[in-house]
Amino acid sequence: MYDLSSVLDFDALTEVRPGSSILVSGPAMTGKEKLVYDILADGARDGDGAVVVTTSDKAASVVEEFRDRVPDLQGAQLGVVDCRGEGGADPELIEGVSVHQVSSPGDLTGIGIGITKALEGLHDSGRERGRLALVSLSTMLTYTDKKTVFKFCHVLSSRLDAAGYIGVFTIDSGAHDTQTIQVIKQAFDGLIDIRDAEGGGREARVLGLANEPTDWKKI
Amino acid sequence: MSESDPPVVLIVEDEPDVAETYKLWLQGDYEVRMGQNGDEGLELLDESVDVVLLDRMMPGLSGDEVLSEIRKRDLGCRVAMVTAVEPDFDILEMGFDAYLSKPIRSEQLHDTVTNLLERSEYDSMLQEYYALVEKQATLEATKSSAELAESDQYATLTEEIAEMREGLDDTLGGIEDDDDFIATLRGLSNGEEE
Repeated sequence: MYDLSSVLDFDALTEVRPGSSILVSGPAMTGKEKLVYDILADGARDGDGAVVVTTSDKAASVVEEFRDRVPDLQGAQLGVVDCRGEGGADPELIEGVSVHQVSSPGDLTGIGIGITKALEGLHDSGRERGRLALVSLSTMLTYTDKKTVFKFCHVLSSRLDAAGYIGVFTIDSGAHDTQTIQVIKQAFDGLIDIRDAEGGGREARVLGLANEPTDWKKI
Repeated sequence: MSESDPPVVLIVEDEPDVAETYKLWLQGDYEVRMGQNGDEGLELLDESVDVVLLDRMMPGLSGDEVLSEIRKRDLGCRVAMVTAVEPDFDILEMGFDAYLSKPIRSEQLHDTVTNLLERSEYDSMLQEYYALVEKQATLEATKSSAELAESDQYATLTEEIAEMREGLDDTLGGIEDDDDFIATLRGLSNGEEE
């Protein structure tokens, strides 16, 4: 089981089943990306593997983020799949972290190959647990239609399930119509909803991981 | 692939004895077509072909060239590359769905064809699953939760979606191995289901 409650304090997140995929949804600038990086970093501190699929940050900044959060990050503990399509500016290895370049956020086969290599690297170093973050589905949705993204999420979730990993995927709820969000949600086992709270700050709720949706709670 | 017709396997192989052997092994379960070279293979290729066994080294058009033509035509078939030596490169990046290295045994050939057909089955189930999910999302976006609770159509849909999800998990055992994972994603990018 994966305990995410030290990152986000909900009972529903204390025992997340291996193989679960969770959608993190909220408007822009509500800390979705920070949340998923925290979830990965928290696991990495306990020895879990981490895979980041990024459409916006370059691999070097992802690695830097992780080194800040997890000072004793081991080599071969982090894999980055960089889908910005800006080519070979980054070396294959950044300080021992394996990096895979993909030509564009719409190149699903390339993303799959990158993830496979990252998983292989983690597996070879003996890690049986791990967490994957994909930031963000909203960018992928600008490159390809919702049907393809839905199927991609389903297939990737199924692969993570076989690996016993968990996945956290971000989506900007303000950037798509309700129907798109409803469809994408269905590819996931659970949902973390984030919104700005009245009077400042943010609040979140968790759906699908416990019997009942939780109430909104300040975070 | 309809229920009544056996799946169609196209063998593209320049050595007649080898091609005959494959045919003998497969003909009980499949409709088998044979092309002696790349050009013949492409002529025999149409929408009804489910699996292509493609020899990589042939006089005339090479296996790689035939593969790129197949992908260009956007046919839904799965392609297994047959090689004389175990490839030391990443077969998946080249766009093949599987590979077999010679000499091939009967059982191995059957396993590969079965797996490739299962992947196609998985793709069409995923397509059906998506159609149901989209219908459900439309209802959710247009009706109140009280209306949804009373809707038989919504209840049936929800049930069908759960069943379909289980069916997908059973086919291929979900997506357990890397080859299945990459090949399925390639299917999405190729837009095979369109």
